[in-house]
Amino acid sequence: MLNTLIEAFALISTWEVIVAMLAASVYGLVIGSLPGLSATMATALLVPVTFYLSPIAAIATIVAASTMAIFSGDIPGALLRIPGTPASAAYADEAYAMTRKGEAELALGAGVWFSAVGGIAGTLSLMILAPPLAEIALSFSTFEYFWLAFLGLMCATLVARSSPVKAIAGMFIGLLVACIGIENPGGVPRFTFGMTDLFGGIEPIPALVGVFAVAQVMRAMLTPEPPPIPKRKFGSIMAGQWRLTKKYRWQMTRGNIIGIIIGVLPGAGADMAAWVSYAMSKRFSKEPEKFGTGHVEGLVEAGASNNASIASGWVPSLLFGIPGDTIAAIAIGVLYMKGLNPGPTLFTEKASSMYAIYLMFIIANIIMIPLGIVMIRLASYVLRAPRSSVMPFIMLCCAVGSFAIGNNMFGVVTVAAFGIIGYVMEANGYPVAAMVLGIVMGTMIEQSFVTSLIKSDGSVLPFFERPISAILAALAIGALIWPVLVWGWRRLKAISPAAAPH
Amino acid sequence: MRLPDQVTGLFLVGLGAAAAYGGWLLPPVPGQPVGPNIFPLVIGSGLALCGLAIALGIGHTFEEEEEIIPLEAGQARPPTGKLYGLRALLPPALLLFYVAAADRLGFIITAALIVYVTSSALGARWKLSLPLAVMAPIVIHLIFSKLLRVPLPAGLLPMPW
Repeated sequence: MLNTLIEAFALISTWEVIVAMLAASVYGLVIGSLPGLSATMATALLVPVTFYLSPIAAIATIVAASTMAIFSGDIPGALLRIPGTPASAAYADEAYAMTRKGEAELALGAGVWFSAVGGIAGTLSLMILAPPLAEIALSFSTFEYFWLAFLGLMCATLVARSSPVKAIAGMFIGLLVACIGIENPGGVPRFTFGMTDLFGGIEPIPALVGVFAVAQVMRAMLTPEPPPIPKRKFGSIMAGQWRLTKKYRWQMTRGNIIGIIIGVLPGAGADMAAWVSYAMSKRFSKEPEKFGTGHVEGLVEAGASNNASIASGWVPSLLFGIPGDTIAAIAIGVLYMKGLNPGPTLFTEKASSMYAIYLMFIIANIIMIPLGIVMIRLASYVLRAPRSSVMPFIMLCCAVGSFAIGNNMFGVVTVAAFGIIGYVMEANGYPVAAMVLGIVMGTMIEQSFVTSLIKSDGSVLPFFERPISAILAALAIGALIWPVLVWGWRRLKAISPAAAPH
Repeated sequence: MRLPDQVTGLFLVGLGAAAAYGGWLLPPVPGQPVGPNIFPLVIGSGLALCGLAIALGIGHTFEEEEEIIPLEAGQARPPTGKLYGLRALLPPALLLFYVAAADRLGFIITAALIVYVTSSALGARWKLSLPLAVMAPIVIHLIFSKLLRVPLPAGLLPMPW
């Protein structure tokens, strides 16, 4: 254990890792703070860069950029009432109300402080949860993997803030995309329409860049420019945070725990964690009437929650290759690229790398405090950059980045196509996150499904015979039936009052 | 681009049915009951069912109404018109332009055109978009070509490094 820890320290204390981490932190802070550029997009655009780094440095950039971006989304939320990332959307109104009351320092300070605390809590959960789960996971067969992946996809559709039917449809579209190519049980070209470029299948990363980055530039074309930020001087940012920590320690802990749970659930990420925690904070608050008028309590809980979910989202990713959220989905791509294939054996064979990941999470959350303070002070300058000067860079990064992944132009075509798909889906209420998870998990779910079917000679019964497999199956099918029940129940309720007067 | 649910739903029915049929046509693995055919069959049928449900309006009540943020004083009202919506297609079109032109024109020239058009379309005056079109490609070229060694096409205007 101690030896592994020392090895892990040696792994991360190289110049490459340190520089990569610092650069990625600054990048994450800037992208996260710009409205409309989300943490997922920041991470996706980073992937081509990680391609050229050593495995640990590559993961360091992903860890640092995603952690910073989730916090930094709070900045324009508090100053402009425009959340920088969806994860800050839940409490942007509240933070802006605080700014109008003249408490911008307190709101932003709470953002950086409770984000750091949440991030560290999430990392601890990753350290504590992952190894014992890996022990259990070692005895999993393809049946369990199939249900686990299925359950993951179902969770993604349940938590989507849209119609569950559309979310499931989005998931199916993603799975269908994953069907393309010759990497299937028979090794035959499937849905390639005779195009050799499609033989290798659709790479998840260009698809992600298209859905999250190009679609965003497309939306920017049709929406008016957000108002420029007023210049202001900030007082001390960390003043009063310790007092808040003591006063709201239960809210903070609850936020951490909710964030961890939502992070571990496949498909549900930081934005969901923030929404749930903010709602919970209001529900259990002693002074719920203050919510919405610039009250810091909800900020504490939701801020502690969304960053906790980032680290815990890596639990299912590292163990099963099932992403905890869209950022983890990108991380999985990088892990595969770097020969750290996710799976329970990662914790025994590559233990030092795992410890290095934990350490990097903790370091990222600690350096977030000073870097975050600098970022808050510089925010008035960064946020003055007009969209018309930021979006062209995003466009170039999309083009060059997607080309760099395979050094072929087909990547760029994929990005453009998925930009359109993502834009149309989003505009019509189909959650793109569900599709993304479908694309990432498609190959795995098909393999476990087909292998299981071959093992069982085409019979469906063995899917339910092993104990863990049966439990997972029950959960997954429950998640599938749930929206139908809710819909039916609402229908009944809607009919009965109408029928009552007669 | 908000289409009625009936349109997207029926499109998904078509897509799902086509996928299921396409999967069904694939040969199974010799000697095995299943193969590459089963998964598209299941997915396609599922997608078609979902599309049908969407077309029938099931699950619509779960959707949140789109929040319309009231315009603040002094903020320009976005122009509306039939052609205005087509502006959204500009980014993917520019990417396809990159695919078509980068090898012949080279990275710098293609990228400069993309930057200029994107920036102008987002409302920048030439005083901003022109210097941006000169600077941005060089910065990106430095990072990706010099630092990360991505083979970007040189074309008509190779960089000195």
